[in-house]
Amino acid sequence: MNGAQAMIKCLEAEGIDIIFGYPGVAIAPFYDAMYDSSIKHVLTRQEQAAGHAASGYARISRKPAVCCTSSGPGATNIITSLATAYADSIPVIVITGQVNSELLGRDVFQEADMRGATQSFVKYSYLVKNVDDIPRIFKEAFFIANTGRKGPVLIDIPVDVQMKELSKEFKYPDSVDIRGYKPNTKGNPQQMAKVIAAINNAERPLICAGGGVILGNGENTVREFCEKYQIPLVHTMMGIGVMAKAHPMYYGMLGNNGKPYANNAVANCDLLIIVGARVADRAIPRPKNLEKKLTVIHIDIDTAEIGKVLGPTIPLVGDVNNIFRTLIDSDIHVDTAQWIRELESFKKSTVDHRVWSDELVNPMTLVQTLSNKMDDDAIYVADVGQNQLWSADNYVMKHGRYMTTGGMGCMGYSIPAAMGAKFCEPDKQVVAVCGDGSFQMSMYELGTLAVNNIPLKILVMKNRFLGLVREYQHYNYQDRYSGVRLHDYPYYDKIAEAYDMKYFEASDNETMPGIIDEFLACEGSAIMVCNIDSQDITK
Amino acid sequence: MRGIFSVLVENKDGVLSQISGLFARRGFNIDSLAVGETERRDISSMTIVSTGDTRTIDQIEKQLNKKVDVIKVRRLDEAKCIEMEMMLIKVSYNATNRSSLIEICSVMGAKIMHVSNKHLLIEIHDSPEVVENFINLVRPFGIVEVQRTGTVAMSKN
Repeated sequence: MNGAQAMIKCLEAEGIDIIFGYPGVAIAPFYDAMYDSSIKHVLTRQEQAAGHAASGYARISRKPAVCCTSSGPGATNIITSLATAYADSIPVIVITGQVNSELLGRDVFQEADMRGATQSFVKYSYLVKNVDDIPRIFKEAFFIANTGRKGPVLIDIPVDVQMKELSKEFKYPDSVDIRGYKPNTKGNPQQMAKVIAAINNAERPLICAGGGVILGNGENTVREFCEKYQIPLVHTMMGIGVMAKAHPMYYGMLGNNGKPYANNAVANCDLLIIVGARVADRAIPRPKNLEKKLTVIHIDIDTAEIGKVLGPTIPLVGDVNNIFRTLIDSDIHVDTAQWIRELESFKKSTVDHRVWSDELVNPMTLVQTLSNKMDDDAIYVADVGQNQLWSADNYVMKHGRYMTTGGMGCMGYSIPAAMGAKFCEPDKQVVAVCGDGSFQMSMYELGTLAVNNIPLKILVMKNRFLGLVREYQHYNYQDRYSGVRLHDYPYYDKIAEAYDMKYFEASDNETMPGIIDEFLACEGSAIMVCNIDSQDITK
Repeated sequence: MRGIFSVLVENKDGVLSQISGLFARRGFNIDSLAVGETERRDISSMTIVSTGDTRTIDQIEKQLNKKVDVIKVRRLDEAKCIEMEMMLIKVSYNATNRSSLIEICSVMGAKIMHVSNKHLLIEIHDSPEVVENFINLVRPFGIVEVQRTGTVAMSKN
């Protein structure tokens, strides 16, 4: 057995049945070994899309997913998707071919120092020098990617190591022993006691749920906690999906792009329980103000996130499920009836002062209509830009999944990530929502969809501009619109035709719902363009 | 404040770059960094001295702990640890000031390792303050070259 065959064996042992990738000489032995395996390979049209597709697959399957590329430019192309997965803590295993190990460091054809280049974008990386290390390295890589705070792990493997015969019999390890890596999952009992006391003493408690709740598979437990003690919940953009919009404890998304009643709840609570959130600048712009006036409990699996931005009163490190299960089973008495009445009356009195264009499709109505009409368990993938903010603001969460790239804000994410999601859940409805800028950043992936018969639905909010930058220039540069015009290209109907996709277009609010019905119901993949007035802005 | 970290790491390639990269990326200062093997060949020990506010020093400890190749991080209390540094320094002299330079060396416990007709090559190992003081004392003679190891530190307990 050679190194490449051993790599395939390792992936099979990890239950991997699909790899998104792009071949080349430096990864050719691995592709040859894949030829004899049951693992399905999906050839994307560019390496970055392979990374995003694996990330989308990982988020839906809640397990690590795999992508691979050749060396040099193939490997550097995938870095953006690694950075995206890293910022959102998604467990992705990236295998990159590397030049012959004897030539490393000599700047030969298609050599790129991938360990060096990805240092700040992966949780850990390996350069495999000894073929016999392959089983241990793969076992460790999957373990590191999927435990503690999850994240991408890179395995860079020279082509000669892939071809070399193992000197001993292949055996996939049962366990790992990394002396520097022992993630803590159980909450410290003393800290737990402080948390319980703080909740008991609170009159206006509030939970702020981040993407970490979903990554830790903790949605049900957190909801159960909120229901049992009647504690209201707000969430970050990455936390969309922790609670359905119709839930009585639900008070919306906080932050710059969030709901006024969510920010009101944060401003008026006396105990803020932050769980699985980074306290990032867009969610909590002025953390110092919060520190001064209220009790903050910060729960995270990553010790370093706690206190990075906000100095919490009570830090608690551990796994969301373990911690909230303990809290549910604890003796906590808190009366929030008055607090919820206050929140409810503020929510009812909130008036949206935004003015919308009478022309074309209203983006707010569009997202509400689309997400209402989508199946209860459908997957909604938002891209980056105005489409993302309109989506986050108006998406009607039922029991499905909402994916977007909150940390890196990487344009072009939605189509490949939605494709990964669809490969994972072929029977579920998956819709990618993008703008005309982000669509064109991943337009090439329509080829992958067509070849693989993936019935993905892509909705394009077309306003002929890079809308969010245009909006920024409107507010900050006195409408001096520099470098943001996309004009009318491409002709989306022709693009759809070129890839055997169905095509729909809506240009007013009256016919839009009916067209969405047809778009969602049609067989196969489809593009729906919704024409939006470029005057419409998010704030 | 000053933070002194004694860090045990896996002795393998790329680890030093990971640690220095972490400091660079997050904007933490490195005042000094000394690395060497321990009694076990597969483990290296680093002493890292940094300055920053309390939150920065706390973050450094947490971020170091997060690294997979970092086995153990210990934060040393300045009052409860021994800090040492070694320096090689080349200083110019002439016929008139030579004896006063030699006198400074003998008072400070520095050793003259080599004498040429223009320079003395001096070695001193002591606490970082003493080493710093020695540099100031010999500065008027004319410093040609300095090599410092950086601080190594160990807790007294």
